[in-house]
Amino acid sequence: MTAKTARVNDDLIRALRAVVGDRVSTSAVVREQHGKDESYHPPHPPDAVVFATTTREISDVVKICAGRGVPVVPFGAGTSLEGHVAALKGGVCIDLARMNAILSVNAGDMDVTVQAGVTRKQLNEHLRDMGLFFPIDPGADASLGGMAATRASGTNAVRYGTMRDNVLALTVVLADGRVIRTSRRARKSSAGYDLTRLFVGSEGTLGVIAELTLRLYGIPEAISAAVCPFPDLKSAVETVILTIQSGVPVARIELLDEVQMDAINRYSKFDYPLQPTLFFEFHGSERGVVEQVETVKGIAADCGAGDFRWATKPEDRNRLWQARHDSYYACLALRPGAKALATDVCVPISRLAECILETRRDIDQTGLLAPILGHVGDGNFHVVVVMDMNDATEVARCKAFNERLVMRALAMDGTCTGEHGIGYGKIDFLTVEHGDAVSVMRAIKMALDPQNIMNPGKIVRV
Amino acid sequence: MTETLKPKDAAQVLEAVKWAAGEGTPLEILGRGSKRGFGRAVEPGLGLDLSGLSGIGRYEPNELFMTAFAATPMAEIEAALRQNNQQMAFEPADLGPLFGGDEDRGSIGGAIACNLAGPRRVKVGAARDHFLGFSAVSGRGEVFKSGGTVVKNVTGFDLSKLLAGSFGTLAVMTEVTFKVLPAPEKTRTVLVLGLPDAAAAMTMARALGSAHEVSSAAHLPKAAAGRSQVSYVAGAGRAVTAIRVEGPGPSVEHRCRALKELLKGKGEIEELHSENSQALWREIRDATLLGSANGDPGGRQVWRLSVPPMAGPGAAEALARDLAGEALYDWGGGLVWLAIAARPDAGHEKVRAAVAAAGGHATLVRAADEVRARVPVFEPQAARLGQLTARIKQAFDPKGVLNPGRMYEGV
Repeated sequence: MTAKTARVNDDLIRALRAVVGDRVSTSAVVREQHGKDESYHPPHPPDAVVFATTTREISDVVKICAGRGVPVVPFGAGTSLEGHVAALKGGVCIDLARMNAILSVNAGDMDVTVQAGVTRKQLNEHLRDMGLFFPIDPGADASLGGMAATRASGTNAVRYGTMRDNVLALTVVLADGRVIRTSRRARKSSAGYDLTRLFVGSEGTLGVIAELTLRLYGIPEAISAAVCPFPDLKSAVETVILTIQSGVPVARIELLDEVQMDAINRYSKFDYPLQPTLFFEFHGSERGVVEQVETVKGIAADCGAGDFRWATKPEDRNRLWQARHDSYYACLALRPGAKALATDVCVPISRLAECILETRRDIDQTGLLAPILGHVGDGNFHVVVVMDMNDATEVARCKAFNERLVMRALAMDGTCTGEHGIGYGKIDFLTVEHGDAVSVMRAIKMALDPQNIMNPGKIVRV
Repeated sequence: MTETLKPKDAAQVLEAVKWAAGEGTPLEILGRGSKRGFGRAVEPGLGLDLSGLSGIGRYEPNELFMTAFAATPMAEIEAALRQNNQQMAFEPADLGPLFGGDEDRGSIGGAIACNLAGPRRVKVGAARDHFLGFSAVSGRGEVFKSGGTVVKNVTGFDLSKLLAGSFGTLAVMTEVTFKVLPAPEKTRTVLVLGLPDAAAAMTMARALGSAHEVSSAAHLPKAAAGRSQVSYVAGAGRAVTAIRVEGPGPSVEHRCRALKELLKGKGEIEELHSENSQALWREIRDATLLGSANGDPGGRQVWRLSVPPMAGPGAAEALARDLAGEALYDWGGGLVWLAIAARPDAGHEKVRAAVAAAGGHATLVRAADEVRARVPVFEPQAARLGQLTARIKQAFDPKGVLNPGRMYEGV
């Protein structure tokens, strides 16, 4: 075999086989699948892939790798967007998809413990009959371990927060193969430093998340979803800002510009008007939802909105949100064969209108196929820049656009990434945004992973 | 401690920390000093008094965040927010009175460093969940910033979360940014009278699990209820279970009615309006219903137990019996304040065995210095977690000069 590092050799593979039997692969197809995510970043296959089924196996595999200085890259569903799973320095990829057991649901205390490979949809299907749900919903059907590792969020963040607000405890395999549990089941985890939250968002660079205890919510008594078109982007964004500032506990509030509406109309077979549009969802008691709706309708009308189109039946709502979640794929379908650069800036809500409008002007001037959408309720929006990877000038133009967008957001006191993470795609932006903090992060990385074997080359370069 | 450094700005803080790291002199980090009794007694050295770093920086109400220097008094921040009908939704407890000090003496930096919360924690979380970003000086003598003014960011390790609740042992915060939110228009509290503790936990779970957007649920056994300044509560003459509902007027009235219907038959039901509600939830928040240090001549020791809510009453009642104490429940039973007759070991072995069995942890909040030097104040960590904690401390503060030993011996 031709491994990236001489430390990956037949002897290592034999050692891995002793732990996981035939659940280790060095075939080119399997390695290539595991070296890429859903982004445009070039793939970097690992030298071997192990399909783990227990925490103990992960621990044994990491110990073998640590003993030989071989990199370890955890892999959940492979739906990240900044090259998080790319094996930049080769090594062993640990695929957690087979660790898909839901270990225990505590309905009384509203929490659940799962293995890392359980996906968000699998969990919610399991919970539905109990009247409970887990609200974090990135577009893809990601694994919960991966979502914790990237501190993912989604359309429900305004009301329910992100992964950092909803992970109660973790079981983590550290860089030397030891297993720790970050806290007990009690809601409040202030016994010592908040290690749970240190691992949430650490992108596999400090350890492998093997099990998670998550916070659950009761399925609301009433749910109402609506779609509302606006005459222009500005009035749609103003509606969002005023809604948030008035403290209405809206569950979801999503902006899609007219280009994005065209994409989802085609992809998901809808016939919505080609106008900037807000998707809303309200959760609460029957009465509470009526009040929220009245308040928001009032704000939207003042901003010049068109009519609200309601989706009250569960199947209609599901179709609506599935379409929203599929919007990345809908954008890709606008130009078959193309890839997409998904931007991810987040700005203070008071600067949101300015940032989106300037960005839209930039898109028009640059001449890009780049729909705008996002979870604007928390100041976060995405531009899905569709590009032909074979056209170097076009790729360069798209990357330059992204750089201008990041700089615009930073100048507005925002951040380069609201939810996708750093991976290796945004590693240089992190330095621009938080130069001094990078050295602190590096110190933490060195303290927990002195050999730099855990997903090396992500978040901070060592 | 005899001497105190009093920097005027972040540059002087940097200078002080660099000097201390060079000399190997431990610093006790003080915001306003209202919670000096919280945590282990710090190894003797110099004080680093941050009270010169005070004042609100950036605050535009419609931006929904505020930036303030670390030692800005909470009272100043709360007053500015009140003027704009806003609040810190995590309503950090004012622990001053519990430690024998005056009310309203704490700083925002102290509230964040101790990761304080209030009764609304069940719904909105604690200080760390509202803490967006900071400027700080690490024990390595480096200035660094993290987070910012947006509510969501995933730029690398979540340093804000690490600093919240680190009791000044990792870095000296000089400026902090945190979320602010509109204050509720109206607050009401539904009281259920006379419930035994276990039944109260079930009732609180019922209310919190309902669709009526309950923001807090607490249970005051008879003795604690009797100390309330709110006459309806003190005059009940029995245990009081309190359920808070907040929001726009009509919605609050509707939800209160629905809750009363839901809880019908559990016990006699009363209702408190805004002013009395505010007074009661402040008493619960600050744990003053167990008696302030001054108002508690027995000098009782106070524990804070964090447990899965359904396991709270069982553990607390057994401990109260064993240690001649009394309990007060917040967060639907997930938080138990336990006051016990003072004893040299603060009953720590019994307390910790009980919370371990329940799946929680315990913090010794109030006890004499010598007791807190002897008894682990924070939940002792399993060996591996302890090593991880020590490595993180080492990464931020290799010379061990920032509040050494405040959380754990040697950290």
